[in-house]
Amino acid sequence: MRTPLLAAAAAATLLLAGCGSGSSSPGEVRLRMIESLTSPERTKLIKTLLKDFEKANPGIKVELISPPLDSADQKITQILQTKKDLDVLEVRDHTAKSFSNNGWLAELPTTEWPGWSDLTELAQKKAVEVGGKAYLIPYGFYERTIFYRTDWGMTQPPATWQELYEAGKKMTSGDRFGYSFRGGKGGADYAVMMVSAYNGEALNPEKSFFLKDKRTIFSTPEAAQAMDLYVKIFKEASPPDSVSWGFPEMVQGFTAGVTGMLIQDPEVIKTVQESGMTAWATAPIPKGPSGYAFQPVGYAGWGATSFTAHPKEAVKLVQFLSEAKQSIAFAKGNSLIPISKQAQSDPQFSQGAWKAYLQAQQDPKQVITIRPVDYPGWSQFLVDSDRDVQALITGKKTTAEVLKSWDAFWTDQAKKVS
Amino acid sequence: MRLFTARRARFIALCLLPGVVFVTLFTYYPMIRGTIIAFQRYNLFDITSTPFVGLENFRAVLSEERFWTALRNTGTWVVVSLFFQFFLGFGLALLLRRHFRGRGLYQAWVFFPWAMSGFLIGLLWRWMFNGQFGVINDLLLKTGLIDQRIGFLATPGWAMTSVIVANIWYGVTFFAIMIMAALQSVPKELYEAADVDGASRLRQFWHVTLPHIRPTLALIVLLRIIWILNFPDLIYSMTGGGPAGSTDIITTFLIQQVIGGDYGRAGAVGLLILGLLLSFSVFYLNATRFEKSR
Repeated sequence: MRTPLLAAAAAATLLLAGCGSGSSSPGEVRLRMIESLTSPERTKLIKTLLKDFEKANPGIKVELISPPLDSADQKITQILQTKKDLDVLEVRDHTAKSFSNNGWLAELPTTEWPGWSDLTELAQKKAVEVGGKAYLIPYGFYERTIFYRTDWGMTQPPATWQELYEAGKKMTSGDRFGYSFRGGKGGADYAVMMVSAYNGEALNPEKSFFLKDKRTIFSTPEAAQAMDLYVKIFKEASPPDSVSWGFPEMVQGFTAGVTGMLIQDPEVIKTVQESGMTAWATAPIPKGPSGYAFQPVGYAGWGATSFTAHPKEAVKLVQFLSEAKQSIAFAKGNSLIPISKQAQSDPQFSQGAWKAYLQAQQDPKQVITIRPVDYPGWSQFLVDSDRDVQALITGKKTTAEVLKSWDAFWTDQAKKVS
Repeated sequence: MRLFTARRARFIALCLLPGVVFVTLFTYYPMIRGTIIAFQRYNLFDITSTPFVGLENFRAVLSEERFWTALRNTGTWVVVSLFFQFFLGFGLALLLRRHFRGRGLYQAWVFFPWAMSGFLIGLLWRWMFNGQFGVINDLLLKTGLIDQRIGFLATPGWAMTSVIVANIWYGVTFFAIMIMAALQSVPKELYEAADVDGASRLRQFWHVTLPHIRPTLALIVLLRIIWILNFPDLIYSMTGGGPAGSTDIITTFLIQQVIGGDYGRAGAVGLLILGLLLSFSVFYLNATRFEKSR
């Protein structure tokens, strides 16, 4: 009786041990890595890079965990809370601060790593954005541009939000609409982009929800103008159904010929190219009346956990993925703005649809901002503001009500942080 | 003899041990932990400082208009879904009880939705109900039932109807399975006796079938109410609770608190849901017991 029970217990223990990280065979190190922005093609690409890493580092095996996109960040957080069995992870701009606050991320060495000097200035800046320490090495950047159809009667892309509204309205008739509006998850981001542009020079790019005089960007009359125009763009130039559109629907709307304009990240370039559309181009995002356009550069990168049992190997993997060859392959595969200086000579990143990014970089009034992602209420605001935007465009709330609540929220946040 | 009994008791205890360990680990531990968190300021932004805040999280949740909207929506979501799931499931079970060619295949096909995850069902129906590219709009347009596309998930009233339709499609099969099993347990002799007494099919159903399966029905209705209330997956993947909170139910509201990083408030919402379900279950079980003793 006792023997089979003991045997079963031992088998279960071995099985559980085998599931975790550690040495699976003598001399072999097994790293566990988790990604966040998962998609089948991306996972395939990462696996290829991991195979190259394993080839270059015999004795190290990497197990990749790819949770479903919608719940990936929650899953990562849960694993981090247990402080077990994770060595390398994808850290995003809006998770970096909370992960480091909770002591889950290891500081990455940069000085002894030759790859550091090959990173662009932006990549180096973003790597140490949280507390001045390198908790992640970005793998690429997401910066938005306008995608527009060149065969729907528009001679040149809209340079301002007012022009976008007018051009969109002209394009709208029957089953055809001017603009791929985002009213679902992430929709508030576009409203904030417009409000920022309308605040112009008064905005503080380093804390972009606040003005230089410390008030919030939602407290000004210009913010109300922007929000009113935002509602008009939805009502007069966008599909009614776009009240619930998220990323896939808005891209599908553009590629399926339902909408004539779209504002999105560079990863959409590949999708549009593959859709078979030929008459399209890109341009920098529209500006406000004062001639300014503001947007944050979205990013994510690879980091190592503070509790990994194999810190040396985990750092080695992060550095390997961030080196020129691998990072350029990853940026190409995912249509991202690359982190390596060597990519500047790559024709892919200076031609066609990518030209708009270079144009934006050369324009001093296309300003890159830093959003208050390191404030305690950031995640809550993301959830609440999307609902407010839906309430606004469906007429359940007024512009004044929405702006008043956002202003109150961020005024309170400013007090908490200071 | 005593030795044998003691050994037997030890053996039974050993067999029960894994179950007890798993239930403690995966049910009671999270429940106790969640209860403690509900009384703490527990924001994911910084969990190195989690002070005790008393009833603060409950006060914050109960003062939110969104919570009460979600509660009202939960009522609609549960009652309407349950009503149609029950009656359609009952009808399906009566049809499937009959013997016909390929019945097994047909049963498997009917029960298929029950094997799918709620999240996947939500994604499927989200595309089917899509106002621009969805197959439902296409079908309605082609058959001439509508002359312009309907924003099923974009209009508050339609959005709630759409998620309920998807839920009905999913849940009908559960009732069909359970009721069919209950129907098969009714002894044939009772029907033969009713036939001899000259009872019509309707009277047989009313006086033989229904009394016999009533305890099963009471139980599965209770289970289903609890499950529907605790089934945010479908709504979350179809509408995310929108537009403007019109399809938010109490459990999607809870998810939003978690995503917002406020685990303290999420814990408070969880406890409120638990309280609601426990009170309802006690009331319901008492009511159905009364029914039985009558």
